[in-house]
Amino acid sequence: MTVVTVVQLYPGELGVAGDRGNVLALVARLRAAGFTPTVHEHRRDGLLPETADVVIVGGGPLSAMRNIYGDLMANAATLRVWAASGVPFFAYGSGCELLGTSVTLPDGNVLDGVGIFPLTAVRVPERTVGYVVVESTTGRVVGFEDNASRWTLGADALPLGSVSAGHGNGNGFEGVLAGRSIGTQIGGPVLPLNPALADRLVVGVAERLGIELTPREAAASNTTLTDDYAQRAREVIVGKATHVFSRI
Amino acid sequence: MAQRSSGPKYLVPVVLGKALRTLGRLRGGGSAFPGWAVLRLAPDFLQDATAQFAHGIVFVLGSNGKSTTTHMLSEVLRAHGVSVFTNPSGANLPQGIASSLLAEVNLFGRVNADIAVLEVDEAYALELAAILRPTTVLALNTQVDQLYRFYETERVADMMLDTLAVAQTHIVSNRDDPYLSKIDTRFAEKAAVDRPDISYFGVSEQVIAASAHGLVNAHDYRDEAVQTAPRFALAEVTATSKTGATVLVDGELVEVVLPSKGLHYAIDAAAAMAAARVILAERFDTSAAARAFAAMKPAYGRGELLQFGAEQVEFVMFKNAASLQLNLDAITDVPEQVMLAIDEGTPDISWIYDVDFSAIDHVDVITGAKAWQIALCLAHQGIPIGRVEPDLKIAIEFMRGLEKPSTGLKTWIVNYEQMMLARKLIGFGEMENQR
Repeated sequence: MTVVTVVQLYPGELGVAGDRGNVLALVARLRAAGFTPTVHEHRRDGLLPETADVVIVGGGPLSAMRNIYGDLMANAATLRVWAASGVPFFAYGSGCELLGTSVTLPDGNVLDGVGIFPLTAVRVPERTVGYVVVESTTGRVVGFEDNASRWTLGADALPLGSVSAGHGNGNGFEGVLAGRSIGTQIGGPVLPLNPALADRLVVGVAERLGIELTPREAAASNTTLTDDYAQRAREVIVGKATHVFSRI
Repeated sequence: MAQRSSGPKYLVPVVLGKALRTLGRLRGGGSAFPGWAVLRLAPDFLQDATAQFAHGIVFVLGSNGKSTTTHMLSEVLRAHGVSVFTNPSGANLPQGIASSLLAEVNLFGRVNADIAVLEVDEAYALELAAILRPTTVLALNTQVDQLYRFYETERVADMMLDTLAVAQTHIVSNRDDPYLSKIDTRFAEKAAVDRPDISYFGVSEQVIAASAHGLVNAHDYRDEAVQTAPRFALAEVTATSKTGATVLVDGELVEVVLPSKGLHYAIDAAAAMAAARVILAERFDTSAAARAFAAMKPAYGRGELLQFGAEQVEFVMFKNAASLQLNLDAITDVPEQVMLAIDEGTPDISWIYDVDFSAIDHVDVITGAKAWQIALCLAHQGIPIGRVEPDLKIAIEFMRGLEKPSTGLKTWIVNYEQMMLARKLIGFGEMENQR
């Protein structure tokens, strides 16, 4: 049983829309793969652990982003070292924007990001709300989007996938990839709804540690119930998302 | 303020509006459409019809508890012999308020009441305040609510703070709410005579400490560094029991019976009594207030008990994570039978993962269009689930088929839309003017 450290950044400020669900699902998938996960919640003025095996961050309002900004910048170098060493990051919404290149706020001010994701975010007046369906290399990803942000990726950067229903980044694609890391604006939260996406992070954790995951280990788990519920929930969401989409 | 004369200019719009309202009710159910029509024909209707109340107009705002508190305040005022006009539960947009006025006005657009107590949607509150010029504004709480609609919680907080600030005479706010308590800082530079008076309601430290998840008010990340002097609460919850609460109102202890379980209901009661105290001044009588609470029926779906064959159904309604958590925290005896129903009336359900469900030890059936998403969350939290059945009708029959619980009580935890549907399915119609 390999102990792995999951670092969640700012669970209070950047965790207002069920981001805890992403942590729960990631921990469940790590456990199912044979790891023993421990969660380190990093709060403002706290200390990051010496090492991390996967980093997770969620979304929060502008005031919360401003609030943790100083602490985030003080820890930016460590986070960049982790990312460069192949630690997978999973980042949702404004947390992802702060790990990107920059965020342009509604008042025109620009916050520089940590620079882990090749992503420039601009806050816009129109809000995008509704179910979203994205086709990615790990299959279909579904969830709920609720943001007023347009994402532009760096020249060679890959998105998570292409949008088949919903809005995504605003140009037919959704999210951003950086090595083993995934950034997205798909909420819901996205990892419980998409176990395959959580498993992609688990595979990333294993790869970096040089551990080979056998299919048997992945199957010999108690995730059948959540897998079943996730599958049924996904079917309903796809039905509703395409329904709404075809009406537009 | 000069007395406005309503006069015959409202004759046509009012007659038409009343006719539309009657037609609408014959068809079944209430509607905001008559109100909308009248506002189109006579844009001043709202302003004129409401400019005549001797005790003015009260706005009740808040992320949670508007309907309950509006109901409580209305009943407490009535127990003091004050005649009250109020809008029915949830009819809190301008056209809904105009519609409910239509039921009460005479042909000259006049309402026979001493005071209007109106629950008002946060997003329309400031706009409505410009028309109705409320004498008293009561703000209950800022809790994370409907982010798909409000975007950010601090935006809702500002809507409420801005509306509080335009109260003509009295501001009543929540001392323990990180955003709303700071209303006094807006008037820091002003002499007392130039501003409305500010009163607070609150909860004692001991009671907060005993609550599993505290008060679940939104954290103020914007002004958290702002330090202020301790604030006095005109009405403070000092104890809660299974059926009621003790509230200290201006030095006098009042024992109130609550329409339902939960600290949030006790806080709503304190808010209502603080408002009644400032509106009635010396006329406020704690025994009249206690009498009002003892006679009060629960508001629609808030702890309401409905007959279900030989058993009873207890409805626990929620709108967001805060109201669901506070309702769960209020559960003292783990319910024997539970149905959980959520549909697309709650578009974004992500927040369900922020709710701690450990107050219940299982759910018999999860239903509604979002049933599978809820089941997924509960499975991740380790709560056993009997069955997932998205069709509410089938789920209700499943609940009916379960053996009668020893308490004779089945608990249905529902969002607003599923509550309305479930009531209908078990033979209880809508009650438009239930207050």
